[in-house]
Amino acid sequence: MNRVKIFKSILWAITGLAVAFGVTRLFFGLGAVSNLSDTTPWGIWKGFNVLPGIALAAGGFVVTAVIYIMRREEFHRYARVTVLLAFLGYITAATALVAELGLPWMVWHPIIYWQHHSALFEVSWCVILYLTVLFLEFLPVPLEHTGCLAGIRRLLTKYKLVLVFLGVMISTLHQSSLGTMFLITPEKLHGLWYSSLLPILFFVSAVAVGPLMLILAILTISALYHKPLETDKLAKLAGASVIILALFGLIRLVDLAIAGKLGMAFDGSWQAAVFLIEIALSLVIPVVILGVGKFRHAPAGLWVATIAAVTGIGLHRANIAGIMLVRTGPVYFPTFYEITISLGIISAAALAFLFCVERFKMWETPWEDTRQNPEAPAEFDRASEVWLGTPRIAGRTVYSLIFIVALAVGCAGISIDRIESAGVKDVAVVPARGGDTLFVDGNLDGFGVVFAHEEHIAREGDKQSCVRCHHMNLPLDENTGCHTCHRNMYTATDVFRHDWHSSPTGGNLACNQCHDPQRERTDATAKSCAECHDDMIPDGATITVEQYQAPSYADAMHGVCMTCHKQKAAELTDREELARCAACHTPAGPHFLPESVYEKFRDTSFNHIVMPPITAIDRQIEESPE
Amino acid sequence: MKAILTDVTKCIGCFECVAACKEAHGLANDVPRKWHRNDGLSARNWTAIIQKPGPHYIRKQCRHCLEPACESACPVAALVRTETGAVVYDPAKCIGCRYCMIACPFGIPRYDWEEPVPYIQKCDLCYDRISHGQQPACTEACPNGATIFGERDELLAEAHRRIKAEPGKYINRVFGEHDLGGTAVLYISDIDLDFLAYPARSRTPALPATTAPAMKAVPPAFLGMGAIMGGLYWFCKRREKVRAEDKKDEGVE
Repeated sequence: MNRVKIFKSILWAITGLAVAFGVTRLFFGLGAVSNLSDTTPWGIWKGFNVLPGIALAAGGFVVTAVIYIMRREEFHRYARVTVLLAFLGYITAATALVAELGLPWMVWHPIIYWQHHSALFEVSWCVILYLTVLFLEFLPVPLEHTGCLAGIRRLLTKYKLVLVFLGVMISTLHQSSLGTMFLITPEKLHGLWYSSLLPILFFVSAVAVGPLMLILAILTISALYHKPLETDKLAKLAGASVIILALFGLIRLVDLAIAGKLGMAFDGSWQAAVFLIEIALSLVIPVVILGVGKFRHAPAGLWVATIAAVTGIGLHRANIAGIMLVRTGPVYFPTFYEITISLGIISAAALAFLFCVERFKMWETPWEDTRQNPEAPAEFDRASEVWLGTPRIAGRTVYSLIFIVALAVGCAGISIDRIESAGVKDVAVVPARGGDTLFVDGNLDGFGVVFAHEEHIAREGDKQSCVRCHHMNLPLDENTGCHTCHRNMYTATDVFRHDWHSSPTGGNLACNQCHDPQRERTDATAKSCAECHDDMIPDGATITVEQYQAPSYADAMHGVCMTCHKQKAAELTDREELARCAACHTPAGPHFLPESVYEKFRDTSFNHIVMPPITAIDRQIEESPE
Repeated sequence: MKAILTDVTKCIGCFECVAACKEAHGLANDVPRKWHRNDGLSARNWTAIIQKPGPHYIRKQCRHCLEPACESACPVAALVRTETGAVVYDPAKCIGCRYCMIACPFGIPRYDWEEPVPYIQKCDLCYDRISHGQQPACTEACPNGATIFGERDELLAEAHRRIKAEPGKYINRVFGEHDLGGTAVLYISDIDLDFLAYPARSRTPALPATTAPAMKAVPPAFLGMGAIMGGLYWFCKRREKVRAEDKKDEGVE
């Protein structure tokens, strides 16, 4: 296996996994695959793919401007590859953006619904327009290869300068408007990153990092395909870029100094540490290495400097897009699925890049192989429309296999719990405590109910009234506590243990004892508990058990109490308050528990958000016989 | 312009407003999910009661800013401030970018994270009801008159009157009168309510003003960049020509 094959195999594997997770995201919602939340609505797709991706694609307009507007013919060789890099960079960002949109099929809406005060509106338009420009700029390359539509190719080549101009103008807006987007978060974004100069900073950093990303891509191609490096040209390009990179760092530091926020960089917080790392990567390392002629002309120097700069600027954008936004909720860390989708989009773009580099005439003048016996170039058989024989082409079987296996592994590897529970917190119920008076607070949030158990018994008619609430008991038990079956605060509990019942009754031969042989074997068509366990359902129980799923504790408690309370409120005209929340949830609350339990709820806003579906209770009242 | 005034000292934390809101908007049963922010609001709870030591009960809901950050952020005008003062959401326009959630200084908009077709969820000041002359479900349900509905200037006057009438009782400030350009949902309180704004203090200027200068600079930047590039192109072309001529001259000599 040569290195291209290994590299591509890895890319195909990640892409396969990402496709599986991406489809899951589409069918089960963002919550199923991501850790995005109401406190962190934007995650790794924005912070890693979109914002840094757009910056790294900036070579498309910077280098084309250098070649066609500043007429530096010596870089002409890289014109096609820089346009391709930008095109794929934008496709990557757009794909990640679409994956992140809640309603990806509405992505075209900014075209018809205008809102010109919105920075994101401007961004959307720029992405659409610039993608079109890049597409038209790159189109001649594949057209040249296929030999068809020669007229369009000639037209596009003739008016290339117009496209270059449009590219520069649109990119200027686009790069800066990404910065504008975060001007609206003055208090949320950390002081070391927030600045009213964000649009300018984004533009300058993009101009600096675009060519450096191109150099990194050329270094990669050279390493993968054994091409000789033209270090003189690359050094010239890098030398110019690093001046702009230094300008970016300078504007940032001066801006911070003027705002009096430079001291924050040394306050010892983790944000300050990240800031210093960012400055080291985006300013110090590239400037030191590329500032020295000897290092600039050495491939190793170029490698280190470009990787540092690309990471540094990427980090700058990721910090602004999310890492440094203040949040009051739990810390966001992307899930494995999110990271894979993020990398998968990049992998797919990298595969497309390599495809173009291998198949199309990307260099106009030939770029020879450094090896003694290079592989024969691929040949295309026009009659059969298949690619013939080089070892790299033969790798397609391997790639297909890897992709499909990765896809299958991805599908199998998705946690079914994540999809089914839809993010519901699994809170085990704490039984009601107390004696004659009970304190019902299943999730210990301090917002419970003081339930006068003895009073209710006396009022409702002594022992005969038990069945009004206790509608089902464990075998050989009486008045089993609610928490025995309603075990989860917010989710239903499956109280029927199939394995416990099947083996005592005769294993696989005993299905028909409970299931109707004529019908599908489901919960709904099986016998009810009472048909065998007549001791489980007490005589006169008004609440019927319809299925083997015990509703959540919260639903069960609200259901059983509020059904009566609503009836009583309707009957007794002067007791309207009986139907109100405060009738049971007395705000002051009793303190059966030690203070320490409540202490944690003291200072934070507590989380009481469960309300029963009111219409459901009303329906129960209408249907009840009384 | 309509508004809501909530008197924190009068709220007894009975949750009637929350229940009424759920009923009025047909919001389904809700359970705590891992993506909820721990303040009671969620995609199914458009208003919530926050308990603070005391106890104090503070009703949280969309503040219906006079200059909403969400409205200026939304790229498709799905969030719009109406003439009534209510900031309403149009799900048919929304693309699900969630920029409003980033922009909102009060952290109000919530998202249907569990849905394959998710929407933004937030209080709409019962726009349907108030445009038919009714009052919002929450203020109607309040048994204690702690949260009331009316014209904003009248409620502001009422708020100042209450503060003046009992000087020691309230903090001498109507929360929402000037914060972030002013909001339609006002509070008077005996405890500081700045925690309601996302970063624990509210700024005086409205947020849309932060992006406005940059957005205004867009057309000049676009044309300016074109002009600069045009000038550069002309200059470089000219330099090339002069150099070629110089070379030719040298050749003649």
